[in-house]
Amino acid sequence: MLTADLARSRTDGDTVTPLFVDPDDDRYQQTATELIEIFTEHLGEPKGEVEATIDELTIADTDYKIVQGLAKLLQDECEFEVVAPVDPQEIRRRLFEKANDSYPVVRQPTLGDDTQPLDIYSNIADRLGISLEECYKGMYADLDENKRLVRFGNQAIEGHDGEVTTSTTQLTGDSAESYADDTITVEWLLTRYNLALAQAVLYDATEMRIRVWDSFSTVFSYVKLFGLMHRIYPIDNAGSRVESTDVADGYEAVLDGAASLFSKSRKYGIRMANFLPALPLCTRWEMEAEILDETTGTTDHRRTLALDHTDGLSSHYSAQSDFDSDVERTLADKWERANTEWELVREDDVLDLGAEVMLPDFAIEHPDGRRVILEIVGFWTPEYLSEKLTKIREADAANLVVAVSERLDCSADDFEGMDDRVLWFKSGIHVYDLVELADEYALPTNT
Amino acid sequence: MRLSFDDGTLLIEDAPDTVPHAEWDDRVEEYRAQAQHYREIYEWATGDGQATLRESPASSAGFEDAARSFSEFDLTPSVAIEPRDYQQEALTAWRENSRRGSVVLPTGSGKTFLAVQAIADAGVSTLVVVPTIDLMNQWHATLTNAFGEQLPNGVGVLGGGSHNVTEVTVTTYDSAYRYINEYGDRFGLLVVDEVHHLPAPTYQQIPEMTIAPYRLGLTATYERADEKHEVLEDLLGSVVYQEAVDELTGEYLSEYETIHLQVELTSDERETYDEEYQIYRDYIDTHDIELWKENGYQEFLKRTSYDSQGRRALIAKQRAERIARTAEKKLDTLDNLLKRHYDDRTIIFTANNEFAYEISQEFIVPCITHQTATDERTEILERFRTGEYSMLATSQVLDEGIDVPAANVGIILSGSASKRQYAQRLGRILRPTEDNQPARLYEIITEDTMETYVSDRRRQGVA
Repeated sequence: MLTADLARSRTDGDTVTPLFVDPDDDRYQQTATELIEIFTEHLGEPKGEVEATIDELTIADTDYKIVQGLAKLLQDECEFEVVAPVDPQEIRRRLFEKANDSYPVVRQPTLGDDTQPLDIYSNIADRLGISLEECYKGMYADLDENKRLVRFGNQAIEGHDGEVTTSTTQLTGDSAESYADDTITVEWLLTRYNLALAQAVLYDATEMRIRVWDSFSTVFSYVKLFGLMHRIYPIDNAGSRVESTDVADGYEAVLDGAASLFSKSRKYGIRMANFLPALPLCTRWEMEAEILDETTGTTDHRRTLALDHTDGLSSHYSAQSDFDSDVERTLADKWERANTEWELVREDDVLDLGAEVMLPDFAIEHPDGRRVILEIVGFWTPEYLSEKLTKIREADAANLVVAVSERLDCSADDFEGMDDRVLWFKSGIHVYDLVELADEYALPTNT
Repeated sequence: MRLSFDDGTLLIEDAPDTVPHAEWDDRVEEYRAQAQHYREIYEWATGDGQATLRESPASSAGFEDAARSFSEFDLTPSVAIEPRDYQQEALTAWRENSRRGSVVLPTGSGKTFLAVQAIADAGVSTLVVVPTIDLMNQWHATLTNAFGEQLPNGVGVLGGGSHNVTEVTVTTYDSAYRYINEYGDRFGLLVVDEVHHLPAPTYQQIPEMTIAPYRLGLTATYERADEKHEVLEDLLGSVVYQEAVDELTGEYLSEYETIHLQVELTSDERETYDEEYQIYRDYIDTHDIELWKENGYQEFLKRTSYDSQGRRALIAKQRAERIARTAEKKLDTLDNLLKRHYDDRTIIFTANNEFAYEISQEFIVPCITHQTATDERTEILERFRTGEYSMLATSQVLDEGIDVPAANVGIILSGSASKRQYAQRLGRILRPTEDNQPARLYEIITEDTMETYVSDRRRQGVA
């Protein structure tokens, strides 16, 4: 993401508009191309040299802030590492101790017994069993600017394993994972830059209002992932609030954080910025954020940032549905072929359980009117799941069952006995397991 | 009723409507309160005064306290200095105010020492919040000195690239603001240095989001022009002790003699310097930039972000400055000075990190910059103090408010033209030698460059 000083936006009365760039514009394409080349050419080189090269880059007709912003996004895709045979701090501690016994250490000895730096370096190099050059360069190899560029996107220097895996990067596609198969392109960079400009405005956001008409489960998974709290309202096709979820076409949610209850706080702006890329995963979405501007004197000034699906933003986050839809399709197919009276019905409802949202995927209905609601969870953390199960119990929604993927590494043992309405599955869900759950938990429908 | 710490707030489950300081949170259908009200809510729930605060978390009579995650311990400061009278009075006043409130003492009167006493007195996990990374480093050194061996995990640092939170942790305002919602339940005492900076909407959330029942604010200048210091009473407690400036001795400025040394650029350096400087000058002249005006330079910087020629002019200026700053003959002069003073305690100042590291490598001298990790910085300063190291190169980190071990030779290789900074640097570090040889300060500047101008301005400031 961009640092706050690299943000570019225009303020017009009470609205803030990010100054998006046109990804098809030649000059931006040229700038992006040059920058990507700099990074590629500097693989294995010190970070300071990459930065100096970018610093001296002057490109006609491109605002330098754009150059810096693009460079920052590329740097986020880099890995820099200390390259030294011995811990640099150990090297210099030994050098200083030795030098302190030998001062003056001078460049041009005037007396026969003046020590020259070379004497100290070679003495310590020998003692550490490293070469003179390794000793000299290793002395400050841990300085930020001396760290080496070992990976840029999917390109890594030889002998360096470019794979980075942590749970967050998997979920947000923030690092190697999302483009493990492709390289960083001009188009990728410019699209990502526009998204980052919008994110930078959100650093000062106090509240975010979103409206979505599809991909609910993906959107609310990201709300949860980034620690935002919500109030949720069913809306119709035009975006107006409606009475019940039964007649809802979409959902409106007001997002903020725990302490927002007491005062407008920008504390959660960074989380909202992190959440933003989840929205372009929807086909149709709208977002309105309240931005607190404290730079304009003593009275807080509130402005609005409004974005929607027509702004051409695209997401680098992964949609939960890519996985889910696969599982769901397979389940639907299997159900077709299975021999049961229970019927699998697609459900696109959101159940507000207080702090938690339930996003059922299917209902399982029996001709006699009994019904159970099924949510398939493919995307979770232990805390997420345990809170969810607690809320389901508390929500008095007795006919909810949950199928949870074991695909993620978390051990199913953690939840054993916690709730028998959870069906664990590995690659696919078995129809008869679900039928068994349905028999146990289904309730007659009231209507 | 169950009290828990939730993202910088207190979630109060199954609470009666009479719970104080709480608001109904319709998002979760429970009561929620600001974390700063932990102490009052706890006392209300247990029906007790502060005596029980020192006992293990209560879970009796239908009240479960799952919020509190700080620990208690007995610490004795290992520096056996007797507190001065006013320090003892300040400590007593604070303790009698239920260990809450601010103490106002002039700069140089040992506020850090007072905090050390307060931490030992409270005997709970402590978070110390300070304005700058430099101060954070200094506090780390002091606290390590006082408690380091008694704390199993040492003194923690949160900020400046370190993320190590322990029972006693030092952090900056900025890092505290960023992380307080995660760690606000981990500390029983909150110490805020230079507390007059706290009344800002963002920083104010630091005390708001911590449950610490004990709080101590420290400053030399409590009042703010905008009257916002009044909010400090709610956040930390009232002023419990105040000592006027003139009742304590002023800052000690030692005597030293100053020697100015001018060096020339080599002919290669001169050629490049003139070329680059001309590019810069031409741009200024042809664009009618009025540098002498107050906003003149700002205006120039603004242009450089959208005008590529302006950008080139800025780069030219930076290159010229770099040549003047790191002139080859400066190193030769330094070479001579180090020969002369090899037996003295010498601190070499540069205005920039790069040059400090260059000198460190060239002359094998320990070096401290803002990039130096807190632990290593503490180690180097300690070794300089004990005499294990007799030389030190540094960029601008040993400034205002930092206790630097005394030296008798200072060498300024380049610096910024701030008069205050200059005077403080000298006053703080230079002391005569034990056999009463006066301290010496050298300033090496490059002739006929922008540096000459900077140095003139600097000298006028001190006079």
